[in-house]
Amino acid sequence: MTGRRPPEVDEDAGLRLVALGVVTVLLFVVLLGRLWQLQIIHGQAYLQQSEENRLRDLRVPAPRGVLYDRRGRALVSNRAAFTISVLSMELRDPDRVLPRLAQILGMPEAEIRERLRQGRSRPFEPVRLRRDVPPAVVAMVEENRLDLPGVIVEVEPVRHYLGGGLAAHAIGYLGEISQAELAQPAWRGYRMGDLIGKAGVERVYDRILRGRDGRLRVEVDARGRALRVLRREPWVPGRSMVLTIDRDVQVAAEAGLAQEGKPGAVVALDVATGEVLALASFPAFDPNLFAAGISARDWQRISRDPAHPLLNRAVDTAYEPGSVFKVVTAAAALARGTATRATRITCPGAFRLGGWVWRDLRAHGTVDFTTGVALSCNVFFYTLGHRTGGEAMSQMARALGLGERTGIDLPSETAGLIPDDAWKRRHLGEPWFPGDSVNMSIGQGWVNVTAVQVARMMAAIANGGTLVRPHLAREVLTSDGRAVRRFRPAPVGRVEMAPEALATLRDSLRAVVERGTGRRVRLPGVSAAGKTGSAENPRGKPHAWFAAYAPADRPRVAVAVVIEHGFRGGLAAAPIARRVLAAALRIPLPDEEAAPAPRLPTGARGGRP
Amino acid sequence: MTPGGPRAGAEGRGAARAVSTLALARPVRDGPRWRDLDLVLVATTAALIAFGFVVLASATAGAGDPRSYLQARALHLTLGVAALGLTVLVGYHRLCALWRWLYLLTLALLVAVMVVGDVRLGAQRWISLGPLGAFQPSELAKVTLILTLARHLDGRKPPETLWGLAPYLLHVGLPVLLIVQQPDMGTGMVLVAIAAGMLFLAGVRLRVLAGLAGLGLMGFPFLWSFLHDYQRRRLLVFLNPDIDPLGAGYALNQAKIAVGSGQLWGKGLFAGTQNLLRFIPEQHTDFIFTVVGEELGFVGAAVLLALFLVWLWRALAIAAAAPDRLGRLVAGGVAVMVLFHVVVNVGMTVGLMPITGIPLPFLSYGGSALLSLCTATGLLLNIGMGRRRLLR
Repeated sequence: MTGRRPPEVDEDAGLRLVALGVVTVLLFVVLLGRLWQLQIIHGQAYLQQSEENRLRDLRVPAPRGVLYDRRGRALVSNRAAFTISVLSMELRDPDRVLPRLAQILGMPEAEIRERLRQGRSRPFEPVRLRRDVPPAVVAMVEENRLDLPGVIVEVEPVRHYLGGGLAAHAIGYLGEISQAELAQPAWRGYRMGDLIGKAGVERVYDRILRGRDGRLRVEVDARGRALRVLRREPWVPGRSMVLTIDRDVQVAAEAGLAQEGKPGAVVALDVATGEVLALASFPAFDPNLFAAGISARDWQRISRDPAHPLLNRAVDTAYEPGSVFKVVTAAAALARGTATRATRITCPGAFRLGGWVWRDLRAHGTVDFTTGVALSCNVFFYTLGHRTGGEAMSQMARALGLGERTGIDLPSETAGLIPDDAWKRRHLGEPWFPGDSVNMSIGQGWVNVTAVQVARMMAAIANGGTLVRPHLAREVLTSDGRAVRRFRPAPVGRVEMAPEALATLRDSLRAVVERGTGRRVRLPGVSAAGKTGSAENPRGKPHAWFAAYAPADRPRVAVAVVIEHGFRGGLAAAPIARRVLAAALRIPLPDEEAAPAPRLPTGARGGRP
Repeated sequence: MTPGGPRAGAEGRGAARAVSTLALARPVRDGPRWRDLDLVLVATTAALIAFGFVVLASATAGAGDPRSYLQARALHLTLGVAALGLTVLVGYHRLCALWRWLYLLTLALLVAVMVVGDVRLGAQRWISLGPLGAFQPSELAKVTLILTLARHLDGRKPPETLWGLAPYLLHVGLPVLLIVQQPDMGTGMVLVAIAAGMLFLAGVRLRVLAGLAGLGLMGFPFLWSFLHDYQRRRLLVFLNPDIDPLGAGYALNQAKIAVGSGQLWGKGLFAGTQNLLRFIPEQHTDFIFTVVGEELGFVGAAVLLALFLVWLWRALAIAAAAPDRLGRLVAGGVAVMVLFHVVVNVGMTVGLMPITGIPLPFLSYGGSALLSLCTATGLLLNIGMGRRRLLR
């Protein structure tokens, strides 16, 4: 203790206490200023943040409308399923939670992260990771609830396609709306994550079928657990629809295609209204695989299948018509008067024009009009085509609705092609030669048509010339089952043919079935009319066609069948047409001819047994 | 022991060391003079405790068993009032006389917590007392540090060099090290702040203190290497809360949202959504100020800060009027302790400071903290009752 000042003397002690007091006041002023800034200046913004914290607007997906066949049998309904979703706001520790979740869900972590990234724009809405998970997965998520903060289980209705792949191409399937679709005006009002129809009726009538999602405003705690419902806006279920499809006819069509086992399509129409009784494309797929968001593996399997099961061969694919086009040639000749019922032509087995020779399968000898059609004699039609000319045939083909979209209520219909002089000059830089007419007379050379066009053409001949608009939608129902809207699309046009000409054509088509190439279509007790086709194409064996209507005298049903590379229409396609007509007209077929029970394809495997 | 004990002890010690000029001016005292009881301090303390009780009721309303918190709090308060009364009766002189024992006891308890302590929230800070709960020796250390350091400084000339500070640094450093390793960074910082404040009040020259601060800053990189990961993250997040809004920045953001959303009048007691829906971690302990800000608004927060300011004013006034240097140092130490607690706790809640686990005096739930605060208040009252009556 050698200091100069006595140790107890702190001459500036009071000063230092005052300094401490000043510091205290200053610090409190700073704190108060900060509180002013937070609570008064930015208070409103923080209040909003605290509201966003505690409020969740959850969407309660409305069940889609049920689809019935024309006789009220459900084709598509809904069932309850569990969905695993993530609330990104509550996902505190993604690096720990996501690998675990990936393991439980059996989906790659990268996929989960990608989905979360896409959902970032709506942080308060759950991002659906997997729909329709099995109960075991739900149990695992619930058991690990504490280790999976932000992961929730929701119950949602999931589409249930009762017949598996039955009418898959007509009905379509669901998928999450894509970024590209969101940008289109047609999908205005839709939101990311919405399940929409990706094909078929599901897509075309999506706005009718989907209803309106409900809203649930809930208060949640910091872990995202819903504590109470603050506001409830119930969903409006989607409207149910009755389709024009007749399940029995559809089953017959698909069974026939499956039995044949080659890619192909069937369309059956009500000749008077254009209602589609059956629309089948083979191979098919199981829309149930898509109902809850298709897995990457299933998608790869289906999209890489060389048989393209998603392709709707009845509407989206145009084929060379081959001899089915002879219906057009005959109609054009009769309409132009270049041939009549009395016309007789001798077939020596080949047709010569200038230096060119067109061959026939055999020498048919001298044939009259109905026999020429019945036997599908090429020389007969070469002659008619040459006489009538390409322009007249093109006009008749278009009048019968070939080479243009039928306007069926399905997406992505293709138009096909009916060539003429102008088309040939534009695309090939050549004029129409008489030889082109000869080629065209038997449906060769650039002519491309779809099955639904051919079915409508047969319907027009059957109903006296009215070109109907094929359609799948029949009625929209209210929730108590009353029809609020009936679909009666107006006819597209009329084919003007003299009654005598039409009668000749019809008799000829009837002769095809009764004594010609289409004998395999003959039905017990009912007469049918039709035309076979074997369409040569550059890709392999000829496509087999059969186009028919029945009964021949008072027609009700028209059908078109095409089998890719089926070779002979009378052999490969006719039996299928027969089954479809029998089913549509409710004609029981003898047991030995009835095919085995329809094998409903699952996924893409239908095409390759 | 006679009521004149404290005086005798103080005068005896003063006489043994040096002639004190102030000692000559010291009035004759005759024990605690109850009419000198600082009623403003008593009232303010009672108001703070009552305020805290109400806010705690709201903060724990969302808990599984809210009543258990309030019952425990009532028990803590009973113990606290007892400790306060006992401290007033015993007096700071007698407590300071035991300083070597107090210091050793503190170190022993801090070592004991290392050995037999409970690990909670990732830190080993508590000694279990069975059904009575748990005791946190680091809270006791705050009060014992004030008493022992005051006694250590008392009667000695303030050191003029950094080297001269060494004994005091050692005095403070030992408990600080033991506490920081628990880890309890916050309480360690409180001890350092108390020590710094007391050295300042003891008259250590500013340039010596500045040198000490400089040394401390140079030691920061060294300290950084000793920090736990979560502590480093808290510091980084404080600098930029958006680094990790759902991780370490979460508490900070949610606390700001809670306080800010209270606006002028608050959402009302038991109506704070951030509080009741548990968006704030530890809202009944370290983050209890968020409940004040959210439910009582700017007005409630300002009232609370005003109460603290009055309390600190009384503490500094008592220090200024203390009968001796020892009393002034003890009172000053208590003032610095509470000031540091309030500023750091509120500062962290409103995003002015990094998140450190420091409770808000009288409000945060926690028995040991309340006990040490009551003891500190008792010390103030005792010093106040022995004040010089120069004007009489």
